Amino acid sequence: MHFDQQHLHETEARCTQESPPQCRQACPFSLDVRAFMQHCAKGDFGQARRLLERNLPLPDVMGLICDHPCETACLRRDLGGSCAIGDLERFCLAHLPVQSRPLPMPPKRFSIAVLGAGLAGLAAVWNLSRNGYPVTCLHGGERTSALLARHPQLAGAKAVGDVFEALDRAGVKFAESSLDEASLAQAMESFDGVLLDADATTLAPRFKDVDAATLLWRDKCCAAGWLETTPTGHRYASASRQANEGRIAAQTLERVVAKVSLTASRGDTFGPLHIDISGIAPAPRIEPGPEGFTPDTARKEAERCLECQCLACVKACAYLRKYQGYPKVYTRQISNNASIVKGHHQANPLIEGCCLCGKCTELCPENFSMADLCLMAREDMVARAYDPPSAHEFAIEDMESACGPESFLSQPDPSGRQRWLLFPGCQLAASRGAQVLALLRHLRKGLPGDGVGLLLSCCGVPAKWAGRPNLHARMGKRLAEAVAAQGNPVVLAACASCMESLRQHLPGTEVRSVWETIRDMPLPEGARTGLPKSLWVRDPCSARHDAAWLDSVRTLARKAGVDVEDSPSAGRTTGCCGYGGLVWCVDPELADSIAEDGLPPDLAPEKRGEPDARPVLASCIMCRDRLVAEGVPALHLLDLLFPGTGAASARERGPGLSARRAGRIALRRAALDGSDVPAPLAGVPGLDVDAALLARLEERHILLEDVAETVQAVDAAGRYFVNSVTGHRLGSSRPRRVTFWVEYSPKDGGFTVHDAWCHRMVIPGCGSDAGQPWNRQEDAP
Amino acid sequence: MSLEPNYAPDEAGWECGNCHRPLEQGKVQACYLDAAFDVLLPRCPVCGLTMIPKSLAEGKMVEVEALVEEK
Ligand code: SF4
Ligand code: SF4
Ligand code: SF4
Ligand SMILES: [Zn+2]
Repeated sequence: MHFDQQHLHETEARCTQESPPQCRQACPFSLDVRAFMQHCAKGDFGQARRLLERNLPLPDVMGLICDHPCETACLRRDLGGSCAIGDLERFCLAHLPVQSRPLPMPPKRFSIAVLGAGLAGLAAVWNLSRNGYPVTCLHGGERTSALLARHPQLAGAKAVGDVFEALDRAGVKFAESSLDEASLAQAMESFDGVLLDADATTLAPRFKDVDAATLLWRDKCCAAGWLETTPTGHRYASASRQANEGRIAAQTLERVVAKVSLTASRGDTFGPLHIDISGIAPAPRIEPGPEGFTPDTARKEAERCLECQCLACVKACAYLRKYQGYPKVYTRQISNNASIVKGHHQANPLIEGCCLCGKCTELCPENFSMADLCLMAREDMVARAYDPPSAHEFAIEDMESACGPESFLSQPDPSGRQRWLLFPGCQLAASRGAQVLALLRHLRKGLPGDGVGLLLSCCGVPAKWAGRPNLHARMGKRLAEAVAAQGNPVVLAACASCMESLRQHLPGTEVRSVWETIRDMPLPEGARTGLPKSLWVRDPCSARHDAAWLDSVRTLARKAGVDVEDSPSAGRTTGCCGYGGLVWCVDPELADSIAEDGLPPDLAPEKRGEPDARPVLASCIMCRDRLVAEGVPALHLLDLLFPGTGAASARERGPGLSARRAGRIALRRAALDGSDVPAPLAGVPGLDVDAALLARLEERHILLEDVAETVQAVDAAGRYFVNSVTGHRLGSSRPRRVTFWVEYSPKDGGFTVHDAWCHRMVIPGCGSDAGQPWNRQEDAP
Repeated sequence: MSLEPNYAPDEAGWECGNCHRPLEQGKVQACYLDAAFDVLLPRCPVCGLTMIPKSLAEGKMVEVEALVEEK
């Protein structure tokens, strides 16, 4: 992967949300029909008319005779009938006077002759005169006669007179002419460019004799305005095609006189706009009636427009919704962010907010990967040292603690045999120590003679998510050494993110899900009473491509006697719980909204509290614990397999940050000495912190051990303030790049904590390293 | 971006636990990454022990830290 502008351009081009909807693609003038319809639906017909004036040549005439190919393409077609775009255009044109003045263009010195005043010729005259060219239009008979002969529905229309008047005002010269070879020869002689109207002169070549893209015939002469032929040989005029040809030929002549490339960057290229119309209810087309639309019926008809857009990924992801754009826009913002040297990196939160789960890629018809983009951007930020230090620091410290000496354990099977290795992952170890040991015993029993080792550590994925590939690789090296020391067994992962990360670290080693291995073993013994009858399966985002994981979870649940049904967050298109990408650490509120995506309707916030709400079945402990924290009843697969060892109910919350660390340490000790894992230890001896305060501290990422260390250091040194009213003491320490403040009182040889807070700024006279301003060097990897 | 100049303690009654002197507002320089701000904070006039009130730590300081990080 490389993060350069070229790559970013390619990435940006992948998202086709800005491609025009079908209607606009079908319109020869590329009218923004969707915006036109939105204006009409709001009753803002003036804005709607302005759009017509901007895009259509001879708008008032065009509106009356356009054969609206847009309607044939409209996606409403089979849902009650195409939107009445043509009738709405007519309504706006008839209902309101002209809304915009042509911008005065600097006059050009190149003169153009248009021979024939058919629709194509007049469209070209219109566009060229608006662009400042002196135009002479030669016509046979009355100047309106060719137009009226071909489009008789214009007879008596005021619009025709208006349009010619406008052309007169713009300085166009009209002159009657015999329109014969002599007049062509003379025009070629006296003008810089010449256009032949194929429907109003006999001078024009056949269509097949001009260049199809530019309509250039020869030298400085273009032609436009041919009739169409149906498959049965019937000839007719398509107003939209004729006018479009006039427009194209006019453009070519502008390039001819300017002596620039006739073809370079002409016509837009864009990918298809993908629109999902499933589930949209049909609504019958509202016909205008003999008098045309009224403002009211026009508005109602315009409301039928589907406002066709893609946004398939955005609709499904709370993160993509949060910043109110879509991947194309986000790519631009991220790319700008990367090119800022001095100034605000405003897109940092955007870059840090993605869970890196990959759901968008599954949903996007173009396989756009927001995860790849954000990960690359994070790596770039770290590599060039403009990453916000506070964003991921806490998560990285937590990772380091989970691999540190008090939590890390590589323990081979006591038999010395080395066929399998259980890797529970640091979060399962933190939350479900007793179940990890039960699982280990179960594996050893079910795989007799094979040998099942245990490896307690973090897999290092937080480093990857933080954009620190070097740190991730260092973690990988350490794990690879531990796995090698156990004889390179097959690694059984109980966490999908670990599985992914380990596969990257251990390319020569088989890494698979532990569920796949126990799927075919007899179920663990023990009564399975009190389990819910049925559960909603929510798959972990990192397991979306692991068919064995997905299948084993369902098979095991059914074996345990539980019915399972896929929630909307299942299989390949499942989403993240908000743990992925370290969003829980950077933007906890966003992480919570992400967890809410993909819940079944009967677990909506107002319903999930009901006692008979059907719980979610998770196979990732972070999914399970995070959902329960949102009030969603949820069980982990292990709760079905080893009842009585894990959560007492689908509503029991998982441990907090401090208790998770304590849980890992306790599991390591229990694995070493064969004892039981104690129930989650939610405190530090001698430190009295009530539950409400603890919850608040965890929100601020203040751990009990930080509080304990601070109180001890402060109290021992006597470096505290004392409040003469309450008797409380207040002191601070700075064990790392954060200063912690604790307000406490001594109590029975220990301490009661009243409050605590923290900050990253360095202020002389507080913290343990008072006077030492912290700078970036400290952060060097 | 700036820190407003003066922050008093959140509650009355604080004094230095060591010197037992009431606190006075004193000028110090707060630093973060490459930025520095002058600010008046409650401080022991004798030993210089300085206080960051919670309202400052969880209010203005968080904002300023975030702004400095975006630079
Ligand atoms: S529904 Fe609206 S946006 Fe979609 S194709 Fe029809 S007019 Fe265009
Ligand atoms: S959180 Fe997942 S679905 Fe949303 S943008 Fe990131 S990778 Fe895509
Ligand atoms: S799914 Fe999303 S990324 Fe893909 S084209 Fe649509 S809006 Fe763009
Ligand atoms: Zn003092």
